[in-house]
Amino acid sequence: MTAQVWRTDFAPTTAELNACVACGLCLPHCPTFRLTGLETASPRGRLAAMRGVAEGVIAIDDEFEEAMSFCLNCRACEAVCPSMVPFGRAMEGARAEVAAAHPTVGRGLRHFVLGRVIPNRGIVGVATDLIKLLQKLGPSLLREGPAQRSLRGLRGLQARPRRAQIVNGPRVGLLVGCVMDKWFGNVNQAAIELLDLAGYQVVTPASQTCCGALAVHDGNIKSGRRLAAANVAAFASADVVVATAAGCSAHLKGYDKLNSEGAALAAKTLDITELIARLIAEGALPRLPVTGEAVVVHDPCHLRHAQRITSAPREILAAAGLATVDADPDGICCGAAGIYSLTHPEASHQLGERIAALAASAATTTLIASANPGCEMQLRSHLPKGYRVAHPVELYLESIRSSSDHVLL
Amino acid sequence: MYDELIAALDAERVLQTPLALHVYGRDAGVYRGQPAVVVLPETTAEVVRVVEIANRHEVPVVARGAGTGLAAGAVATEGGIVLVTTKMNRIEEIDPDNRTALVGPGVINLDLSKAAEPYALHFAPDPSSQAACTIGGNVANNSGGPHCLAEGSTVNHVLALEVVLADGSVAMVGSAAPDPIGLDLRGLLVGSEGTLAIVTKILVRLLPNPPDVRTLLCSFDSIADAAATVSGIIAAGIVPAALEMMDQAITRAVENWLHAGLPTDATAILLAEVVGDTAAVEAEAKVMAEVAHAHHARDVRMAADDSERALLWKGRKAAFGAVAQAAPNYYLHDTVVPRTRLVETMAKVYEIGARHELQMLNVFHAGDGNLHPLMVFDASVPGMTEKVQQAADELVAACVAVGGVLSGEHGIGREKRDLMPLMFSATDLDAQARIKETFDPHNRFNPGKVLPTGARCFDLGASVPPGAWV
Amino acid sequence: MSIRAARTEVASRALLGEGVETLHPSSIDEMAETLAEATAKKRHTLIWGGGTHQGIGYRVDPDLVIFTDHLARVIDWEPDDLTVVVEGGVKIADLEALLATRGQTAVLPEDPGGGTVGGMMAAGVSGFRRARYGPTRDRILEVQAVTGDGRIVKGGGRVVKNVTGYDLPRVVVGSFGSLGVIVSCCLKLWPTPRSTATLTIEPGRLVDVHRPLAVLSDRSSTKIYLGGTEAEVGNQVTRLGGETQNELVWPAVPYRTWAFSLRVPPQTAAGLIAGMPADADFIHQVGIGEITIAAPSSDGMAMLRSKAEAVGGALIVTRAADDGFDPWGTPPPTLDLQRKLIAAFDPQRVINPGRLPGRI
Repeated sequence: MTAQVWRTDFAPTTAELNACVACGLCLPHCPTFRLTGLETASPRGRLAAMRGVAEGVIAIDDEFEEAMSFCLNCRACEAVCPSMVPFGRAMEGARAEVAAAHPTVGRGLRHFVLGRVIPNRGIVGVATDLIKLLQKLGPSLLREGPAQRSLRGLRGLQARPRRAQIVNGPRVGLLVGCVMDKWFGNVNQAAIELLDLAGYQVVTPASQTCCGALAVHDGNIKSGRRLAAANVAAFASADVVVATAAGCSAHLKGYDKLNSEGAALAAKTLDITELIARLIAEGALPRLPVTGEAVVVHDPCHLRHAQRITSAPREILAAAGLATVDADPDGICCGAAGIYSLTHPEASHQLGERIAALAASAATTTLIASANPGCEMQLRSHLPKGYRVAHPVELYLESIRSSSDHVLL
Repeated sequence: MYDELIAALDAERVLQTPLALHVYGRDAGVYRGQPAVVVLPETTAEVVRVVEIANRHEVPVVARGAGTGLAAGAVATEGGIVLVTTKMNRIEEIDPDNRTALVGPGVINLDLSKAAEPYALHFAPDPSSQAACTIGGNVANNSGGPHCLAEGSTVNHVLALEVVLADGSVAMVGSAAPDPIGLDLRGLLVGSEGTLAIVTKILVRLLPNPPDVRTLLCSFDSIADAAATVSGIIAAGIVPAALEMMDQAITRAVENWLHAGLPTDATAILLAEVVGDTAAVEAEAKVMAEVAHAHHARDVRMAADDSERALLWKGRKAAFGAVAQAAPNYYLHDTVVPRTRLVETMAKVYEIGARHELQMLNVFHAGDGNLHPLMVFDASVPGMTEKVQQAADELVAACVAVGGVLSGEHGIGREKRDLMPLMFSATDLDAQARIKETFDPHNRFNPGKVLPTGARCFDLGASVPPGAWV
Repeated sequence: MSIRAARTEVASRALLGEGVETLHPSSIDEMAETLAEATAKKRHTLIWGGGTHQGIGYRVDPDLVIFTDHLARVIDWEPDDLTVVVEGGVKIADLEALLATRGQTAVLPEDPGGGTVGGMMAAGVSGFRRARYGPTRDRILEVQAVTGDGRIVKGGGRVVKNVTGYDLPRVVVGSFGSLGVIVSCCLKLWPTPRSTATLTIEPGRLVDVHRPLAVLSDRSSTKIYLGGTEAEVGNQVTRLGGETQNELVWPAVPYRTWAFSLRVPPQTAAGLIAGMPADADFIHQVGIGEITIAAPSSDGMAMLRSKAEAVGGALIVTRAADDGFDPWGTPPPTLDLQRKLIAAFDPQRVINPGRLPGRI
């Protein structure tokens, strides 16, 4: 295998590509293979294509780019791969190569938005005001399509949540996230209050920034590294770092692949559901009596596949007194996948319809829990009116608040 | 030809780009072959059209399911058409009363059992790749799996096939009724690796889920003790639902990935499962444990519940994939030996590995005597591939020498076709070649697979009257 | 003549007709020589095992009858492998008696009369216990056959699982010699259940029984055959109730001048039985879809056949009093392919010519 064909230091490595023995066990778990039946739209096929490039028999052309960009990067294949191929890493490498080989105006713009605009809180703030206005005017202004669905998927935006009271305890750094804080503020607020309650000292350093997942998934490694470096510095003094979006926590845990300095932050990162479930298990947070109400649990790919976390959200919801029902035992991606709904609206929509139908038929309840904002939006935009989609920690905090045994706040 | 194919299907389902041809150029084995075009038909009528176009242009057609085969059965013929069945993946009917299902060839094996679950039925063949492999592929290779020990391979569960023959005609063989009259062509078509016809619909038998199950995990300090336990269980009059062995190297690779609590310090582990009435499985599990202990098992543990049982099977079925952790390449065989010759054959297998200084791993269907000796290596080391090939040839010869066969469930494909004379005389192979010729006179379907070149001999001796067949 | 096979003036000459030669080859090579010569001389040849299934198919007027009674050795029996290799002329009853000495069975027909292993294979018949162990063709692992033109062809292997080349053993089952005379075969064996029972319950009663050895039903009763461990059989007997015998008591099909085998999808069987002539006796293998019928005439059978064929089944004659009723019915749609395949094995069409459906 010749290394010369690759342009970046982030390219798929020989070891990563060699790890695949082409057994095909990933195929049925891949949403895009399920949709198309195409080998080129399967993890094995994509790795074969990457290997073809490494061997010099496949060019990094439009077809290769589309083969890479059609991937949701849900990493469902990774979880079932007995050879433990780091597929998500290799895919990010391949996309970095595509970006380096084909600098186009469109991608340049996307890189700018994902690398500069979204991480900028000021701009996100202005955008949020605009969206509020749109929501008020009503989505009817937009034609039926991905944009309209996205708008429908957003929560009704509310006032900015209050910050935590700081107590003396282990220092937990909260990654507030680029959109999480503005658009899903209740989730961060719930996390802060729960950690407070458990005796943690929650810090939200002002110098933190977007985790960089969207940029890196789009092949924008330069921005990804810049954002990672900023977060490494911002959270240097934290004992533990948590993120309330599964996509962010998964990406933080992979910082060691981006920068050598990223390893420490990667090692001390937890998804919020992991930490809260642990605190419940330790008795630092309460288990509430059973309410008799059910909740359908949706597993975000970046929780279930990328981090192999499935029990934590269920334990949290059980502690909230709710009976959990699985939305999709197969764990197929909902189609949100970052900006995928914009780049591949049709595939995204099909997967969205699928998961919405499963979630709606799983139980009689209209309450659905999902631990990632993208998935939450995707679910909401594909479910009929009347469904509520919320983060498990939010639901848990609500149960605590409404429980007469625990007057806390 | 491309234009005709597009007219027959549609542009989206006819692939001809370099990337598509590259990724469809191999299956899960080591061989490669670049096709000229890849087609993904959705209906029998479309398959017929593809075969007609292939006939007009005199190009070969290689049928392919999920591409999980290990013997290069679905590897493309250079310049030919690869016909992919993944879009023919409808479960058309599940008939719980007659316990049958009518499926397209692209239906994934495990999806069928999942669909039959509400009726407490399942499709018995469960190859390790069952989460990915297609029923059409199972039919082509007469696939087995751990649970075919008691229930038999795919052929025992196929009632009828709709096939497209080499002349483009559609034929139905078999039915839901037992013992069709005339020649039972199902028997020839199942396991024919796509060389006789292209299967477009399959009527399969479903089995009722067993009322109860017991799964034992026995660990041993020696391969010989584990192998002797296998023979002992069979000799004790028990035919378990499954009886699987994994050696230490495989166990460690699987455990590293799965964390199922497999005993990584044991030299060999045996996974034994019995199904049936509660009283029966309890009694049989007890006997199996006694046999294991009599052969110096260091530990015999019973899966406590369904989730532990599922975990153990997941580990067993992912074993091939897990070996990539040891080295970038692997090569394996699929020989079957009489169960009474298991102990000596295993010793021979490891001896061959040691002599060639190759790491030899074993994970296999011990109850059937179906070995999967597997060598891991790095093909980039000069001379390594030749060394592996040499060891592999010795392995096969050793298995055939004790009355074994070349393949139990993976098929012959391109990979083992030249080994066929080890088992069969020229007359035997000639008879096989005549079968191929009868079905496919122009060698259109999957040429170069199963039979060695020159299998058809026209001068077999004086006992045959000249000109008797032409 | 170069043939060394013993020649006998069989007592049944009157039955077979004048000028019919009879041979008893005592080795596979002799069988090959015999058939090569038959092909050279285009002699219509009938293969005779136990004669128990000669009533099936179109009538063959032979010039030569080859008996397999001198090819009747048990070649290899590996009890611990659960396999046995026998010559085609071995009598089913003899083989099962031998296997029973080590608690094993080849699951061959329960009431074989003088039938041979090779004959049963060629005729493609199975025993009642197929409900548990599958039909005969699921248990033949290797076959050695002598083709019509005298070639000795082997297919399969002496192991329980095999996909090495085309599955010749399977297609030979039920081929009535058209692909070759079965001179030897390897069979998969099963341990005999440690405990057995036969339950008799009223006909038509629905019961939930897991993997019985067989469920047989006739006009007067339904019999459930159980096999397994003592506790397993005991539990099922207690649960199901009914009159119990602690052994397997197989029914004998009553003798009539006509006999038929009706083969239909299992769930359609009951409906077809309802339309059966009142003077016909039958044994219905419940869950299998095979109904063995004995009747004084073929009256009403044409109607039954058309119903069976409409659901993908068949009604075949297994014993006929005259030629007035077609023995097979509508031939399968792949007739042309079948004819070509047979030509590849028996180019002069000497073994049982024209006996199969479609007179091929």
